Amino acid sequence: MNKKRNRLQIIHDILKAISNRNGRIKPTHILYKSNLSHQMMEEYLGELIGKGFVIENKAASGKTYSLSPKGFEYLNKYKLIINFTDSFGLGELES
Amino acid sequence: MVHLYHVPSWFLGYDIILHIVYCLITLLVSIAAFRVFKISQQRSLRLFATSFSFISAAYFFDALLNFLVVSKLNESIGIMTKIFTVTILNTVGSYLHIIFFTLGLATLTYMTFKSKNLKAYSLTLILCFVAVFFASNLFFSYHLLSSIFLAYIIIHYLSVFIRKKKYNALLMLVAFAFLLISNVHFVFSALNNEANYIISHAIELTAYLLILVNLILVRKNEQKKK
Repeated sequence: MNKKRNRLQIIHDILKAISNRNGRIKPTHILYKSNLSHQMMEEYLGELIGKGFVIENKAASGKTYSLSPKGFEYLNKYKLIINFTDSFGLGELES
Repeated sequence: MVHLYHVPSWFLGYDIILHIVYCLITLLVSIAAFRVFKISQQRSLRLFATSFSFISAAYFFDALLNFLVVSKLNESIGIMTKIFTVTILNTVGSYLHIIFFTLGLATLTYMTFKSKNLKAYSLTLILCFVAVFFASNLFFSYHLLSSIFLAYIIIHYLSVFIRKKKYNALLMLVAFAFLLISNVHFVFSALNNEANYIISHAIELTAYLLILVNLILVRKNEQKKK
């Protein structure tokens, strides 16, 4: 059975999903790839946009999302973040 | 009233060095946590880094004011001027240390609650400062309060260790347990004899060295993964 993902893992999954689609993705694809409910995905996307990890692009065909340099940095240094938070007992606090 | 510890005279310079060591270790942890926070923007990391900055500041002021006290004691000035200056410096140093250390522990404890309620955090701080500064024995109530905070932090690390079974969590658990023991021991050193003060410092040093070992292991792990 899969373990419950924590906040850091969910953010990683969303950013990874965007990155795998050449840095531009539709919300339905994020929903499918991140395995979240629509409401949860909206909350996470709102937070990620607010923190500057994700950029929202509005076009006539609908909304798409792309990664900002900060988002790419998060993906690149994800292991470093996990290593630090787990070692100092902070991983469980991000749920 | 500021209660003085029973500090052996030969230990006066050494406790300043120890406080500088604690200050540097906690500062290193704080800088490392802020560095990771900058990338991840996670709230727990910001609180963790902030709490260690407060603890570092507490030891910095303690070391600085203790240094000034020792240098005043060595000056060839009138005995009354010396007593007056030393008392003021000692009082200011004690209060600054208590304020910053309480802020650090309260922030660390607040972080473990996963709460986002700033009103609860501010209320905790106000109650802490009222309890400490209006107590008849400042040092006893400060150490008692710190022990309560440390007990809650230990509960957090114990639950992390039980769930994850990782040696890093065990290191942090043991480190905070040592801090709690040294804190309780300081109460006896304030009331009892000089030997207790030295033992308390030895336990405290062990605690901070364990935190430093954890930080070094994290850095080594990072370099391995690069």
